[in-house]
Amino acid sequence: MNCEVCNLKELEVEHYEIREVLRCVLHTIIFHRALGLVRPKEIDLELFEITYVQCGDPEVEKKIEEKIEQFIGWVEKHPNKKSQICLSFYEVKNKHGSWFSKQIEQLHWEHWYINLNVAQQPKVQSVKSHNSKVVDTGENNLEDRSIRRAALEASLRDVLFQIIRFVNDKKEHVPPIPNREGVISFPYEIILPSSSDSAFGMDMIKRMLQTGHPTMLS
Amino acid sequence: MASSHSDSAKMEQIITEFFAKSLHIILESRSPCISSRNFSGEHIVSSPSSSSSSSSSVRPRDKWFNLALRECPEALENLDFWHQSNLEPMVVDVVLVKRVINWDPANFYPKAELFRNLSSKEVYSNCWNSDQEELGNGRSEKIIERWIVQYEARKAKDAGKGSKRSSSNVLSSIYKKSILLLRSLYLTVRLLPAYKIFRDLNLTGQIRSFSLAHRVSSFVEPFTRREEAEMQRFGFAPVDTSSGRLCLSVLYRSSLSDVSSEASTPMSPQLIPDYVGSPLADPLKRFPSLPVSRGSPSSLPFSRRHSWSFDQYRASPPSMTFSPSPTHSEPYASASNPSSSRFPPPGLPPHPPEVSHAHKYNANFDEYYPSPTFSPSPSPSPPIYVPGSRLSGALLRSESAPVNIPATKFLNSPTLFKNQNLPPSPPLKGTRYGPSMADKSMYPSRDSATVDKMSFVGRDDIGRPSGLKIPSESSANISYSRSSCRSFPDDFDESEYTCAFDVDEDDVTDPGSRADLFDKRRHVHDPLQSGSFMPIRKSQGAAVGALVDMLKKAPPLHQDVSNLATASQGSGSETWSNTFHEYCQTPKSISAQDGTSSVASSAFLVSKTTADALEELKGYKEMKNLLLSQGGTSRSRSVTNHAAAVESADEGTVKF
Repeated sequence: MNCEVCNLKELEVEHYEIREVLRCVLHTIIFHRALGLVRPKEIDLELFEITYVQCGDPEVEKKIEEKIEQFIGWVEKHPNKKSQICLSFYEVKNKHGSWFSKQIEQLHWEHWYINLNVAQQPKVQSVKSHNSKVVDTGENNLEDRSIRRAALEASLRDVLFQIIRFVNDKKEHVPPIPNREGVISFPYEIILPSSSDSAFGMDMIKRMLQTGHPTMLS
Repeated sequence: MASSHSDSAKMEQIITEFFAKSLHIILESRSPCISSRNFSGEHIVSSPSSSSSSSSSVRPRDKWFNLALRECPEALENLDFWHQSNLEPMVVDVVLVKRVINWDPANFYPKAELFRNLSSKEVYSNCWNSDQEELGNGRSEKIIERWIVQYEARKAKDAGKGSKRSSSNVLSSIYKKSILLLRSLYLTVRLLPAYKIFRDLNLTGQIRSFSLAHRVSSFVEPFTRREEAEMQRFGFAPVDTSSGRLCLSVLYRSSLSDVSSEASTPMSPQLIPDYVGSPLADPLKRFPSLPVSRGSPSSLPFSRRHSWSFDQYRASPPSMTFSPSPTHSEPYASASNPSSSRFPPPGLPPHPPEVSHAHKYNANFDEYYPSPTFSPSPSPSPPIYVPGSRLSGALLRSESAPVNIPATKFLNSPTLFKNQNLPPSPPLKGTRYGPSMADKSMYPSRDSATVDKMSFVGRDDIGRPSGLKIPSESSANISYSRSSCRSFPDDFDESEYTCAFDVDEDDVTDPGSRADLFDKRRHVHDPLQSGSFMPIRKSQGAAVGALVDMLKKAPPLHQDVSNLATASQGSGSETWSNTFHEYCQTPKSISAQDGTSSVASSAFLVSKTTADALEELKGYKEMKNLLLSQGGTSRSRSVTNHAAAVESADEGTVKF
């Protein structure tokens, strides 16, 4: 089984947009991978004219919300940094280790990398002596914000279509649907950037090595 | 063998259910009559619920592809009707239906229902057009999405490939891929532009000028190249099976911005009593505060009107219905409250082609004088700023001159309402007769005689309703002048008026009253008091003023005679004066005998003058004869001649 990797297009988001964007992307991916009996739940984004679909599993929703909160905390500590969230699907294989320990192996078969560039709000220039300049700056900021918002919405749509295309193009690597109840067919994990950049990178390398598939190193 | 047989049967079933599921997914988000996304509302037992992940009852249909969807009767009906062999493609067209705004209240409200009902029925009959005709109104359709679901069967010899894998694995793999494909489909239908339209139609529940419909068929006309160029294609990766592959693709219009913008401004169902171009349309009403803010209130409705260009056939809110021109005039429809700003007079359906004119006109409004590009059209262009007060003032002044325009002419030619009766001065072309009629309707208390008298100048308004402000003086002049000339082309030569207006501009009387009348900031209450108007534009105002002046100066018939009698007092001999006096007396009887309507107060000014002139001529002949006879004879014969003259006069009397 191959491990497919999908690097999603980078999204430039502002701080207050992180939640909605991440919810949208994460739920969309999971909806494609929750192959159990699903009752789709449509959610309208507030900031954008986009409707995405959740799988309807409250556990999933809760887990995603927790991860988003953690990520926001991380962003606040590490401002102006490009960040990457990894959503991975894996299979659990029992690896029989020595008699005194059981090792559970996680065989990742898919990685989704959500690339975010959280932009700090550009600080308004110090108040000039002339009031009009301040006003102009404010107006420009509003204009810029609306332009950015529109660009982000377009990018978000692109990302969603990117997900759809990836799911459609690559189906062979998806493991057979396990015969079990529940919405979620495959276990997954959301990996956030850790406190230090280097550690984050090391985590990824470790995971890649764990799965033991050379193809993923591409 | 048995297993393969059952496998093929299962495969067949998977394919069949795939068609059904894909249709369900598509129609669930494209058929507006489906129950809205109300997660907390009523649900069928097995319908999805947002919060609960597990439901005790799951319909068999839901289990297919592990996707439990909301109820979609349309999908089921269409599927039952459509069900063909799996080898037939299933084409689902999502159609955007735009209704041409033809304001017929009888038809309007049922339409919303009809659309919903038709969507499934049309599929049954697969005769879209016949149902369209039934509605009786023009509808424009545009296919905004075309979904194609098909199973491409492989050739028989290729079917054996890949059979090494266990059939169950193959089937489960195919099933898994189908699930993935349908998941993608479920997301994709919500990302395409048509979804927004569906949501707007579904959730707001307001009556729109557009609707979504669908048709399911196996064979459709392919798009023209042009149409296809406007569409984008998104194809899902096909699912390979042992004997073929399942394909799903969509052609969609990526830009539905015009409809989307409309959808963002929903209108509540209201009767639009007026329509542009009707005499009842009173554009001035829209801008009660125009004098205060120069065109910003005018821009407001127009900016909204912008969203419904005639291309879109969007029904406009009542306040905007001034602009479209009427297809027919109903000048005497019940008046709406005139005091409400921008409230249209009743009875006027908007006319889509006029909206564009309205829009153009609006853009020029601030300049006031419409650019020549705003050309007159045979159908009325929107009466945006028809100054009713001026018209009313001018018309009322005409009361002093009892000129009676035959009402029949006015009623039989509704197009005359549209065509302004003014000389073809470019700035005036945008204005229309409408507001006057609107005013007329606003004040039904005005007697018909007044109306008739008013109407000769082109059926302009009787008076501006209180609370209305005239946007500008010139606009009044414009409309007035336009209306006055054209209504009776037979009677008045346009060039005549042009010249007259140009000449008589200075003759427009009573600047004081003019100022009163056409003060933009004053309501026009009593048009009678304000006799004239101040032409801002020479061509227009002068035309109006001159006409009014003419009417004013035109004396009544009987007055003419008496004036003539008076004038003749100081001239001529007694005989002459007596004879003339007799002549003066006689025209009444003469005219009665003649049957000429010159004396009749209802006669046209022109006819009165002609008849009167004829009378005078005859009288002069008599006098001439008398004088000649008198002069030729001696005084002694004067008595005789006088008697003869009297006799001749009597004879003349008899003659006449």
